[in-house]
Amino acid sequence: MTTPGSGGAPSSEGASSGDGTPSVNGAPTVDGDPSADGGPVIEARGLHKVYTMEGGLEVRALRGLDLAVERGEFIAIMGPSGSGKSTLLQILGCLDAPTSGSYKLAGLEVARMSEDALAEVRNRRIGFIFQAFNLLPRATALRNVALPLMYRGVRPHERIERAAAALERIGLGDRLEHRSNELSGGQRQRVAIARALVTEPDILLADEPTGNLDSRTGEEILTLFDAIHREGRTVLMVTHEADVAQHTERIVHIRDGVVESNERVVKAPAPAPTP
Amino acid sequence: MMLLENIRSALEALAGNRLRSLLTLMGVMIGVFAVTTTISLGAIATAGITSQLQDFGNQALFITPNEDNPRSTNFTDADIDALARLPVSILRQRNVRGLARAGSEEAPLTVNGVTANAPQVDRTIKLARGRYFTAEEDRRAAPVMVLSADAKEALFPDDPNPVGQEVSVTVGSSRSFYTVIGVKEALTGAFTFAASVAVDVPLQTLYLNHPSLTRGEYPFLPVTVSLERDIGDIEAQVEAILTRRRGADTFRVQTIQGALTLFDTITTILQAVLGGIGAISLLVGGIGILNIMLVSVTERTREIGLRKALGAKKGVILQQFLIEAVVLTLVGGLVGLAAAIGVLYLAVALVPFLDTVVLSPFTVLLGLFVSVATGVVFGVWPANRAANLSPIEALRYE
Repeated sequence: MTTPGSGGAPSSEGASSGDGTPSVNGAPTVDGDPSADGGPVIEARGLHKVYTMEGGLEVRALRGLDLAVERGEFIAIMGPSGSGKSTLLQILGCLDAPTSGSYKLAGLEVARMSEDALAEVRNRRIGFIFQAFNLLPRATALRNVALPLMYRGVRPHERIERAAAALERIGLGDRLEHRSNELSGGQRQRVAIARALVTEPDILLADEPTGNLDSRTGEEILTLFDAIHREGRTVLMVTHEADVAQHTERIVHIRDGVVESNERVVKAPAPAPTP
Repeated sequence: MMLLENIRSALEALAGNRLRSLLTLMGVMIGVFAVTTTISLGAIATAGITSQLQDFGNQALFITPNEDNPRSTNFTDADIDALARLPVSILRQRNVRGLARAGSEEAPLTVNGVTANAPQVDRTIKLARGRYFTAEEDRRAAPVMVLSADAKEALFPDDPNPVGQEVSVTVGSSRSFYTVIGVKEALTGAFTFAASVAVDVPLQTLYLNHPSLTRGEYPFLPVTVSLERDIGDIEAQVEAILTRRRGADTFRVQTIQGALTLFDTITTILQAVLGGIGAISLLVGGIGILNIMLVSVTERTREIGLRKALGAKKGVILQQFLIEAVVLTLVGGLVGLAAAIGVLYLAVALVPFLDTVVLSPFTVLLGLFVSVATGVVFGVWPANRAANLSPIEALRYE
């Protein structure tokens, strides 16, 4: 089995959040974070995931996968269907537990946590961005963005303020009271990104974030991801489109449940216009 | 604050499916309506009856011949004298039907010939105008008359005070004249000895004007028992005396208590039937809630997955769907309660012996409790199902 280059992450350039780009969010600090020191934000070792099908058939989706992600990295996870990349994303997102192996998120071992403890980890440390946006259709943009803050127990007044700030940041300050079914696809994905950012998570997990968008809107969203990354956020994006992956710094290729290779992205000069 | 947010999203979810929500809460609405109406109607009827009894004095007996027994005859003065040794007042009463005329008005009515103690025996007699006749007027067969409220309406519709006016009564070919000396108050009672369009005249005057009436025979005897006496004892003694004098099965003694027992039975049956309907519709309504909540959980699998991905714990999702079920049933309960209150006011307005709407806080709370409980009982399974959805499965669900 190949051991991926866990030390090969470009931690030096990624972790620089305060310098250069003015950050609206500030650095992703997490209260009581044991790993605020600068160790890898994701440290997965020997992840196995076995699904037992109804007929008793066992499917081994992950077969001892190792992955390390430093703070501030922008990573694409690619792989053919059936490679295990969805399973990996679910485990990294604490939506599912590995059958065996260790997964430390910001220094915290989450592989054996209870369901409710995982819910809290998801709430505090992970921002999800889905292909289908997954907004509450009847709720306004503001309430959609405020939702994770509610589950954290933030007071209503503060929730609204923070949600509004997150939407302003993403360029939707004039759409606060629009219901999500009144918004365009690109606007919806922006709302979803604001929702993922509002909790100041350790990592952003994006699952084919441009998959439901036309290429122009997709490009806009990717530009937004670039900006988010420049603010010092750690972003993991699952995609099957090579040109989307080219926006990132490192491409992790998954095949047969293990990391097949790590590929550093060599950026062409000014690949995308700045918004 | 999560609670408020959950209530808000429940209301939104229900508003989003307005027709479905409406149809779903119908069962609970009918159930709460039936339960509330049942309890309140029982209370209102009991209150009405109780106040009637206070008017009437619950110390009354009504003795009639046994019509099933051909040997049963009218009561005599000797019967009355024998019963009068008991601590009771007995009304000697005969009546005839006749046509009354006053000025241009005329009306068929009952002419009651009674003794002057009638207001003491029949406590429903209260005078709105004038006075009742005296024993002296009875003795000398004075041509005086006391109108019932309905008789006053029939004969003197425009005259607020017909005291002093003349009324003629034609029975067969004979015609007699009376002067009105009093008008009774309208009867609110369910229990009365008297026909509603009727006049009271002294018994001796009736005998004088209608010589064909056999004196000293009475087709029924209204009896009032002194308040401090036990009516059951008196009833037993009345039965003993009359059985000895007339023989068994020649008479019947009715009491208000007897009527009340009958009424109670009817009320109980009514309550059982309505209560049963209420229980069944609550059950059916609850199953409706169960069904719609299961549908809702399935429909919103993705939403649930999303909420979980964003950090909602099991308990929060459980609470959200439970609140949704409870909001549904509570709205149904409130509508049912409102409908019940409306019907109660209508019943009191339409049914004469129901006096006031009795709506105890207990009944209202029970109605609300029942609706909330229905929501909880039938909502807990779907809510639990939602809470236990795996976030991945839920997000993957199309």
